[in-house]
Amino acid sequence: MAKIIVVTSGKGGVGKTTTSASFATGLAMRGHKTAVIDFDVGLRNLDLIMGCERRVVFDFVNVIHGEATLRQALIKDKQHDNLFILAASQTRDKDALTADGVGRVLDELAKDFDYIVCDSPAGIEKGAHLAMYYADEALVVTNPEVSSVRDSDRVLGLLASKTRRAETGNGRVKEHLVLTRYNPARVQKGEMLSVDDVREILAIPLLGVIPESPAVLSSSNAGVPVIANKDSDAGRAYEDLVARFLGEPREHRFIAPEKKGLLGRLFGT
Amino acid sequence: MTPKKALEFKGRMLSLTRARILDPDLAAITAQLQDFARQMPRAAQGMPVVLEAEMAVDLGAVLAAMREVGMQPLGVTDGVLAASARQWGLAVLAPDGPGRTGRSAGTVEPAGAPAARRPTRIVTEPVRSGQQIYAAEGDLVVLSAVSAGAEVVADGCVHVYGALRGRALAGARGDAQARIFCRRFEAELVAVAGVYAVAEQMQSDWRGKPAQVRLADGKLRIEGLDG
Ligand SMILES: Nc1ncnc2c1ncn2[C@@H]1O[C@H](COP(=O)(O)OP(=O)(O)OP(=O)(O)O)[C@@H](O)[C@H]1O
Ligand SMILES: [Mg+2]
Repeated sequence: MAKIIVVTSGKGGVGKTTTSASFATGLAMRGHKTAVIDFDVGLRNLDLIMGCERRVVFDFVNVIHGEATLRQALIKDKQHDNLFILAASQTRDKDALTADGVGRVLDELAKDFDYIVCDSPAGIEKGAHLAMYYADEALVVTNPEVSSVRDSDRVLGLLASKTRRAETGNGRVKEHLVLTRYNPARVQKGEMLSVDDVREILAIPLLGVIPESPAVLSSSNAGVPVIANKDSDAGRAYEDLVARFLGEPREHRFIAPEKKGLLGRLFGT
Repeated sequence: MTPKKALEFKGRMLSLTRARILDPDLAAITAQLQDFARQMPRAAQGMPVVLEAEMAVDLGAVLAAMREVGMQPLGVTDGVLAASARQWGLAVLAPDGPGRTGRSAGTVEPAGAPAARRPTRIVTEPVRSGQQIYAAEGDLVVLSAVSAGAEVVADGCVHVYGALRGRALAGARGDAQARIFCRRFEAELVAVAGVYAVAEQMQSDWRGKPAQVRLADGKLRIEGLDG
């Protein structure tokens, strides 16, 4: 039975789509058959980051409305043949998604995928609600700043109350904290919240810290998820994150400022 | 054909500030209001107020002075102000707040009178931003944190065994004996029986520490819990 994972945040622009693309790709690279769905109806861009925007014929909304089959709409990734993308519609609005329709598509996907990754739109309205509704687990993407943390907190409240699991009393959605665009130098100067600050406020397990990195933009311009860029700090951080998600222990990296003096390195502060 | 729905009624807890007029001297009232607004501009702005008095006052002038500093007088408690309040289009509320009537000012309830009490409400999940939890006619126990932007309300006491970062209101129906207890005091707002303080107004000594909040002589007191 497939596991459904929502990538959500509340606040916009924090790195959900970047995380969805690399997370799904990372699961596929490790041999798991994975589908990633763009729930951001009206604002397609998962397909851009996955580099398949020129191959979109049918989208998620078409499948929900019976205008195309799932098989027709799933776009196979160029690099990994166990990775598929279901694009969002650019021409419909968010009301085109219905709880029943989403449920049906997820049920059908669940039959032959291991993981289904749902890239949520920002906000806490319908699109975000539907993206999280059927989830088994959630990656809560947060930037190290107060407003983002506050929105993530809000989303955690919704995960605990407004999901199928919560409503049917069938356990709870497993929560993971993903701290993105982390800049240790700015944290040290007190300009951003630290990993510990954010963990303390949100009180959920930390899955990964992704550093602020120019590689993210260059990868997305190239249409390749940053995890495929093995030389980049952000790519390696996403790889660690996927490994941890699959139960492999990995130290957290990229948390301390890079150019540390000898003393700093010796004492590991 | 279904008739068009023009109104929706929603129950909502509002925190009102009661302003008790101790001296009808208009100049003194105006000076104190302006003082308050200078010290706590954010609290004064838009503050919903219910006026109380036991002597006659020039209500129109008091209303003008309150509005001048940004407050919003909404009504008066029943009594000497009632007649002129109606003239000014204000609400006249029962002395003990909504939901309680029939007790005339001045009567003291016999000590230990059994108030309606329901079992304590225990919340094991963190209370997250945007959530509101209300324990009617009883105490509320929260085992973990109350986030900034969350609100916990009880007619009795509020106990928070994690950090209290949001708003906590005890004695929501006027029980002045109710208290708030928390393991770590970082509240945005606390209130007991309608007397409240926002973060800006709280002494900072107990920030980040275990603390309780209670009413003493009609004033909020925040005290440490250790020792
Ligand atoms: N680790 C990072 N380092 C640098 N830039 C990043 C990082 N993560 C994301 N970005 C940039 O931040 C912007 C927003 O990222 P992304 O689209 O993934 O966010 P989102 O949460 O999906 O946004 P939306 O809420 O609009 O869907 C993009 O320009 C992306 O390149
Ligand atoms: Mg996005």
